[in-house]
Amino acid sequence: MDAHPGDPPLIYLNNAATTWPKPQGVLDAVTRSLQTPFFEHGRSTAGSAMDYPSETRAALAGLFHAEQPDHFIFTRSATESLNLLIHGFVKKQGAPFHAITTELEHNSVLRPLHTLTGEGRLSLSMVPFQESYVTLQDIKKALQPETRLVVMTHGSNVLGSLQNIRPVAEYCAENNIFLIVDGAQTAGQVPINLEAVPLGAFVFTGHKALFGIPGIGGFYLDDPDAIVPVQQGGTGTDSRSLAHPQEMPQKFEAGTPNYPGIASLLAGIRFIEHEGQDRVTRKGRDLAALFISEITRDKNIILYTPAPDLPVVSFNIQGLDNDEAGYILAKAYNIITRTGLHCAPLVHDRIDSGKGCIRVSFSCLNTPEECRSAAMAVREVAEGADR
Amino acid sequence: MKEFILEEPLTPGFLTFLRSFGTVKEYPHMKRPYFSFEQEHFISIKGFVGDPSVEVRYRKEFSDLTSDYFHLLLFYFREGENGIRKMQGIEESIWERMKVRLPEEGVPR
Repeated sequence: MDAHPGDPPLIYLNNAATTWPKPQGVLDAVTRSLQTPFFEHGRSTAGSAMDYPSETRAALAGLFHAEQPDHFIFTRSATESLNLLIHGFVKKQGAPFHAITTELEHNSVLRPLHTLTGEGRLSLSMVPFQESYVTLQDIKKALQPETRLVVMTHGSNVLGSLQNIRPVAEYCAENNIFLIVDGAQTAGQVPINLEAVPLGAFVFTGHKALFGIPGIGGFYLDDPDAIVPVQQGGTGTDSRSLAHPQEMPQKFEAGTPNYPGIASLLAGIRFIEHEGQDRVTRKGRDLAALFISEITRDKNIILYTPAPDLPVVSFNIQGLDNDEAGYILAKAYNIITRTGLHCAPLVHDRIDSGKGCIRVSFSCLNTPEECRSAAMAVREVAEGADR
Repeated sequence: MKEFILEEPLTPGFLTFLRSFGTVKEYPHMKRPYFSFEQEHFISIKGFVGDPSVEVRYRKEFSDLTSDYFHLLLFYFREGENGIRKMQGIEESIWERMKVRLPEEGVPR
């Protein structure tokens, strides 16, 4: 957006989509990564260049407390990760089976599952949420003898609710059900301990709370034999063989890695480590709580997230379509929000009759002053819509 | 979606003109006086009275038939009542072409 003289300063509150700004260290890391030859595993251009993939896998293992760095697989995004995992699991099963997911999910979960249901590869049960949460009891009600897969979000991108994964994970592990957890909204935002929770796979993206650039994501796969790779290609290893390598991480990675993206992810993790994960988590919650406290008494604002666990606040303004409110906030106040369905249509069916809402989402780089200014703007828009 | 910067700011008179062709919503008490226009099957427009910048969205299915619609609105606005009649004639012509394209579904009018 071009700045014009007299415009108020830009306030970016769409961090649940993509965090902005990026820490300077991330920008510098991307530049640096492009200024030297890439270290290519098994190839000839090593020299003194940095092995970004290996360094970043180690950093991810540290941040998420994972035992096996090589079980982190890089992809383009959480969406690609979820597709590789879901389709790979279906391919491994061979025969149709039953899967469970929840109404909180993003289309990156819903659409692959819907597609596979349409192809007769699986049958699907949708677990409703109660007051923003899905519990193990809710999931148990959907179980069938042939249930083999549960896919659920760790944190809702609309309701900001952090799901209690541990009991679901323990139940799935005990009952031979593969659990995929979508951590797109939580990786980097809240502490994650993969050692402590027996997940089948944990999905993350680099460009949200991990502060990387768009185009880098990944997943952690506990058991490499649980799914079948759905893509093959060059790995720089065992090149004489026409069979794709079965070692991790090459088993699920083919082609040239996104080195600048991986470098940005590494720098983003270092930023979080420097700031402290607990501080990052707390600041996000504090900003959301501050924003809510500033708008909550306005009778023209319909709030859907009275106490979010994540820095996500969703609401509507009486008498004004959400996309119009977003337009006014952007053009008249220079405040960037996100409006519409947020790629989570089933959540909106429950909270706003499917019309969508306005979402503001904070990163730890937002300030309380930005938060108050945005809340004041939202109150002004609500007042303007009411007159 | 396209954003246009017009040669002149939008006026209240233009909103009056638009009412002949669809639904205009006005919020004059916003920080900047916001309006939206919707011709359900052609386009929607968002902007502020007194501002030259507008956002125009075209219905994807008919965008080739309606891509000039916004410019025609601006052009015929200058002709007053006569412009309304001409614009209504253009609308009829667009409807006719929509009918040809979707004979089995009919035109959603």
